[in-house]
Amino acid sequence: MTTYPVRTRRWTRKEYRQLGELGVLPENEAVELIAGQLVVAEPKGTPHTTAVRLTAEALRRAFGAGWLVSTQDPIALDDDSEPEPDVAVVPGGPRDYLVDHPAWPVLVVEVADSSLLFDRHHKGSLYARAGFPDYWIVNLVDARLEVYRRPGGDPAAEFGWRYLDADVVATGGGVAPLARRDVAIAVADLLP
Amino acid sequence: MTEYPVRTRRWTRKEYRRLGELGILPEDEPVELLDGHLIVAEPKGAPHATIVALTATVFRRAFGDGWLVRQQDPIALDDASEPEPDVVVVPGGLLDYFDDHPARPVLVVEVAETSLYYDRSHKGSAYARAGLPDYWIVNLVDWRVEVYRRPAEDRTAELGWRYLDVALFAPGATIVPLARSDIDIAVSDILPEARWRLR
Repeated sequence: MTTYPVRTRRWTRKEYRQLGELGVLPENEAVELIAGQLVVAEPKGTPHTTAVRLTAEALRRAFGAGWLVSTQDPIALDDDSEPEPDVAVVPGGPRDYLVDHPAWPVLVVEVADSSLLFDRHHKGSLYARAGFPDYWIVNLVDARLEVYRRPGGDPAAEFGWRYLDADVVATGGGVAPLARRDVAIAVADLLP
Repeated sequence: MTEYPVRTRRWTRKEYRRLGELGILPEDEPVELLDGHLIVAEPKGAPHATIVALTATVFRRAFGDGWLVRQQDPIALDDASEPEPDVVVVPGGLLDYFDDHPARPVLVVEVAETSLYYDRSHKGSAYARAGLPDYWIVNLVDWRVEVYRRPAEDRTAELGWRYLDVALFAPGATIVPLARSDIDIAVSDILPEARWRLR
């Protein structure tokens, strides 16, 4: 196939909300707004769903009171991005985000099987650009956890940013979230 | 950059119309729907605008009564495509397309400069898939007209279809439209040689 520049119409977060309110885009439709593009989520299997639940449970246990662990809920990332990470940890409680979605998660997690490259390069770059400090990928393909930290500029990255530190933690290992360095989370607890 | 599949949300022609009616997509926004994707039209220069107007004028004169020549107006190509070709020739008169856009132009033309590759591969494939019999690209880069005919399936093509026949016509040549074997269009009427030398 030939490659040539084609620009597709980009959407703002405001327009995206309007699309939902006016019923053009049904609430339950599996899309998320990534850098102005309405990206369709691929169907997820039971290992994916299980890992999301396990991760949410482990993070709720680790973070405790004063933190909200949400699953597949929107994040107000920037004017033209409203992704729905598999798991996100934000400060506060449910009522703190009545007016707008949380914008600054202290930890975002994606569970990846078929979406691994997208989650690494596309979402990773987007999250790095937004300055999210702590990004984890529960990698179901290799049964391990990837921990990304220290966002920095990189013109070669999808959105001009990437995480400078990437750590791989195997099943036997553990990791402490940046926002809660006093707790260790066992990788084995996140994997199905 | 790493390659990985990203599927973006596709729109139907019905949804596209609704986006316009609801004011989410303003009427004057330069986008067109092609195979479910809202493609943004690049800003067009004076040569492009001039040649579009010239082509339409030449066609109106050549086709005469009983044919409608439209410029940059939508065509109802398929359920997920409503492109706005630079020039189309459709049978009938102005009021025949009051209820819906024309679907089957007998001749469709794109004037291409920066959009040349896109018009050849992407649009060409969409027009071939819809079975449009006669597709011309007025190529401003090489100052010639490319005539595409005989749509056929081809899995390697962008949308699974392409035109089997391609013929190139330089100023000095004439082209007979498929729909009107009794007329011919002089390429130099569309692409005046004097302007080419200036470029």
